[in-house]
This record gives sequence, C-alpha cells and structure tokens, in this order.
Amino acid sequence: MSKVKPAPLSPDTVIGGYRIIKKVAAGGFGVVYSALDPDGQQVAIKEYLPASLASRGAGELLPQVAPDKLSLYRLGLKSFFEEGRALAQISHPSVVSVMNFFRENETVYMVMNYLEGGSLQDFIITARDLKQQKVFRESTIRSLFDEILRGLRIVHQHKMLHLDIKPANIFITDDNKSVLIDFGAAREVLSKEGNFIRPMYTPGFAAPEMYRRDSAMGPWTDIYAIGACMYACMQGYPPNEAPQRTEKDRIAVALGRLRGIYSDNLIEVVEWCMALDALSRPQSVFALQKELSREGERRYTKLTVGEKVRMQFENIVTDAKKNAKSATGFGVRK
Amino acid sequence: MKFSVFQISRRGDREKNEDRMGYCYTREAGLFLLADGMGGHPEGEVAAQMALQALSAMFQRAARPIINDPAGFLSDAILAAHRQILRYALDRAMDDTPRTTIVAALLQGNTAYWAHCGDSRLYQVRGGQLVTRTRDHSYMEQRLTLAADAKPSAYQNNRNVLFTCLGSPTKPQIDIKGPVELEHGDRLLLCSDGLWGSVDDDVIVHHVGSKPVPTSAPDLVEVALQNAKGTSDNVTVLAIEWESQTEFMPTKTNISTDEIADGGFASTLQVPLGPELAAMDDLDEAAIERSIAEINEAIKRSAARKR
Repeated sequence: MSKVKPAPLSPDTVIGGYRIIKKVAAGGFGVVYSALDPDGQQVAIKEYLPASLASRGAGELLPQVAPDKLSLYRLGLKSFFEEGRALAQISHPSVVSVMNFFRENETVYMVMNYLEGGSLQDFIITARDLKQQKVFRESTIRSLFDEILRGLRIVHQHKMLHLDIKPANIFITDDNKSVLIDFGAAREVLSKEGNFIRPMYTPGFAAPEMYRRDSAMGPWTDIYAIGACMYACMQGYPPNEAPQRTEKDRIAVALGRLRGIYSDNLIEVVEWCMALDALSRPQSVFALQKELSREGERRYTKLTVGEKVRMQFENIVTDAKKNAKSATGFGVRK
Repeated sequence: MKFSVFQISRRGDREKNEDRMGYCYTREAGLFLLADGMGGHPEGEVAAQMALQALSAMFQRAARPIINDPAGFLSDAILAAHRQILRYALDRAMDDTPRTTIVAALLQGNTAYWAHCGDSRLYQVRGGQLVTRTRDHSYMEQRLTLAADAKPSAYQNNRNVLFTCLGSPTKPQIDIKGPVELEHGDRLLLCSDGLWGSVDDDVIVHHVGSKPVPTSAPDLVEVALQNAKGTSDNVTVLAIEWESQTEFMPTKTNISTDEIADGGFASTLQVPLGPELAAMDDLDEAAIERSIAEINEAIKRSAARKR
C-alpha cells in the first residue's frame, strides 16, 4: 500500500467554474480548498479523494484508483453523497451550509460557505496556555453551546446524527458565531474491518456506545460529545476515553476540582451529558437546552479545606502511580 | 400531489428501539413505510432498517415518476426486502435470522395501495370515522376474524405470536389492498403494535380524526406510553393527511410534490447504507448523476425555504 498522500490540486486550477486558492485541510476523505466562485466570492470546496484508496501525482487532475479498490471507493462516494444530502436539507446559521455539488475530474466536489475564524480546538489551546484559573468564562461557554445546540437540534430533527462532535469540528467565526462543521465523519467512514463499516470516532469525545457495534446510537450520542466539549472548555483538556472511564471513572473527581470556579449547575449539566449510561443522559437536545438556559442565581459550592487536602493527596498518589508505571513499563496504554 | 405527514418513534421501556419509519416521494408518487424489528430473534433493527431501505431503493428506481403496477410493485419490493434479510443472515452464518414486520402505503394520483406483513397496521380514517384497517397476521386476529363471536380475552396471550413476517425461513404472506380512492382530508395512520397494543381502536380513530397530523401523531404516542407505563413497547406512528387544506402552505410537514423537478426524488430514509445494500444498489454512472441532481435539488429547496 502506498503511503504517499494524493497530491492536492494546484492553486489557480479551475474546477466547475471555481478557482482554487489553496488547500486548507486534508482528511481521510479528501481535501478541502479555499476557492473563488465566478462572482469572486470566497467558498470552501471539499474534494472526494480518500487517501487510502486513491492516488494522484503532483500537478495532475485525475485521481487513480486501483481496480481492487474500486468498490470501496464507490462505497465511500456514497458516504460523501450522504454528507451532501444531509447538509443540503439543513439551512441554519450554526450548521455549515452546502451551496453546490458537482462532478469533475472523475470525482465529486462539494461547495460550502467559507468560514473565517478558527476552531474551538485552537481557542481552547490558546486559552489554556494563558494558565488562568478558568479556561473559558462560564458565560462564554453557555452562549457558545447555546448556539451549537440550536444547530444540532435541527440536525437531529432531520433524523441525522453528527457522530463526530469535538472542538476541532466546532468553528468560531471572526464575527463570533459558532458553526458545526465536518459532517463527513458523521456518516460512516471507510475501514474494512470484518464485513462491516465502522463509524469513526474521536477518543475522549465519543460516547461508550460508539465503541460497540450492537448498541443504539441516538441524539444522546451527540449529547455525550457536547458534554465532552464543554468539559474541554472548562479543563483545557479532553476528558478520558469512554472505555477507560468504564474501568475507572475520574470525570466526577476532575469536575469536582472546578467547583467554585464554575457554577454547580454547569458542572452538573456536563456530568449529566457525559453519563456512561446512554439512558441517564439528556435524551434530546431540547432537554439539554432547557437545563442549560435555566435562569436564576448561579450557585457556587466552594471546596472545603478538607476536600482540597484530599484532592491534593490524590494528585500525589496518582502522580506516584504514573511514575511507578512508567518506571516499570507496566500499564502502558495501547 | 399534496399531503401532510408526521412521523414519530419513541422508545418505550425496552432496551432498544427496533422500530423504523420513513417516507420518500417523487413528483407524482409517495411511499410511506413502517417496520418493527422483532424481538426474540437477532438484530431486529437491522431487519427493519434493511426492509425500509430496500423498499425505498426499489421505489426510487421504479417510480418514474409513478409506479405502473402498484400492487405488483409492493409485493415484489417486500419479497426483495425479505430475500435481502435472508442473504444478510446467510452471509454471516447466523443461527437465526433477523425478522421484521412491514407496512407500506403507496399514494399516487388520488389512489392508495397498501401492503403489510405481520402486525404493524394501517388505519384509514375519513370524517372522523374508521373506514378500514389492516388485519394482523397474528393467531389472535386470525381466530377473531374466523370466529367473530370469540372472546378476545381467550386469545389475548397470543397477540404477539405472528404467523408470518419478513426474514423468517418461510415465504412471507403479504396482504395487499388497493386501489382505494382517496378523498380530500382522508387520513392514513401507519403504526407499530406499541400503539395499538395499548390504545383502543376508537381512541386511535378519535385522535386521528379530530386533529391535524402534526398534533395527533405525537399525542397518540404519548397516550400509548402513558397507558403502558413501565412496560411500554416502542411506539412508532406515521400519519398522513391527503390533500387537506385549500390554503396549502408548504412546511416541513406539509409537502407539495410539485416542488420536485421531473425525475427528482426526496426521502427521509437517509441513514447510511451497509455494504449489503450498497452492493445491491451499486453506484453506476447514472446513479452518481442522479445523486448529484438530488443533492442540488435539496439545496435549491432549502435555499427557497430560507427566502
């Protein structure tokens, strides 16, 4: 199998009337370019070009697909269409919108509105490096997720799940709007494991049911990821992976440390969203919105001195354990 | 063609919801589907999902833009779905096959055809009165039909025992009705046994007959869940009102198929396809072109809604 990634289209290539400016991102499914439409408007164009199935030399237009990979390539094309179909039905400011879909160079292209700004991921990293007590202010977290949830609610109303909500897929525009992006992973991703296609997942943000094939995914699966994103906005780091949590769950302890910094209500909401048992989570975005928008005095329960001491003690023990593990070579993860 | 449609499915007190529903339409025909994956056998939800996708895929292929032989289509498509499920089980050397019920309604012109296999039902309501409903393929209902004077309670424990369904090793029995001429305001209700198992027919008819479908469907589901609180089955309903208002405002639930271009196709069944179905409906050149046309069609519709 070739390890070389297919080359992106060169700048100034014109496809379907759009002029490529440059490549802005590349994923397993293809390449995203910024481009100009015939009226000079900037757009984002996603090209279907699965790196594991297709190759393309630098400066060439047509991708090459080995005959034995053709059926998988076509299968992936279906998922790409699914993403297009999904987005085509939705028109909401908090969901990236698709403007056109066309075929050229023996592959397909999806034209989306171009967003200027950065991902929530970038913002979290910048904020956490400031080493303040809070990563984001509570009011910022609340208004950001209020917008995202409005968009997600529409997505769910269309009987679709995103299935890969994470800070990298939440885009904050320069005019301070948050937009849910990348519905490509939302569908299913190519990986021929056994006889079925597995949904892709991001550790830390994927609900426990994403790891098991038999269990039912639903709005609660996206809601887990929303909880995990809020957690990341508060801690500056993603939460532990779900399977790890099933063994030893440290989320409650980690959130406990944030008491007094964030309101009890916000901490409880995150815990609720991130319940390991799918049935214990909010079952719909609406239920979560209701809780999150509850007006009233925010209560902050500060940690007692005893709790602080115990926590510090726990830190020392955990660190000691970690050190012991790395020293002996035991307990190496994956 | 104009209709209002509302579908809703809620998990009762079961571990998972194996009910599936959906609809698709062209400019001149609509297909409405509901399947209830059966417990007691493996992967009921897979069977239900496959049944819906197989029917929808065949509808998309055959409806150009109408189905020429509706009764034949329904019977062929349901049998194809059945074979698809068997093949799925065979490929995996499963000890037992996944099974599902199905009820399908095909609307075109001003006529309806419907078909069912198992105990998912269709009710036709006109002017607040029940016109007809399907008869379940259960031993209980069979005996009730054969001996009209028999007391239902004697057979109550048999209501869940079906003598036919999709995915079982024996060829499914499919009942087809039609053509049924529709009148303005006629309502059709497709539902799983989670509804009729805990709500009486007259209550169902009352709700369907007295309110618009976006209200009656969720209300009925709520009643069913309340009635069976603690032991409720999954409850799924899909309600359609045929060419009701004269002042027809297209919304999410009010659909005018006139907005669809020639050769266009819209569907709520957009869950990802497994490899089995993908293989069945291999993407040829024409299919790729069609997919792209559909997506652009949907983009146009969304943009129009926005304005």
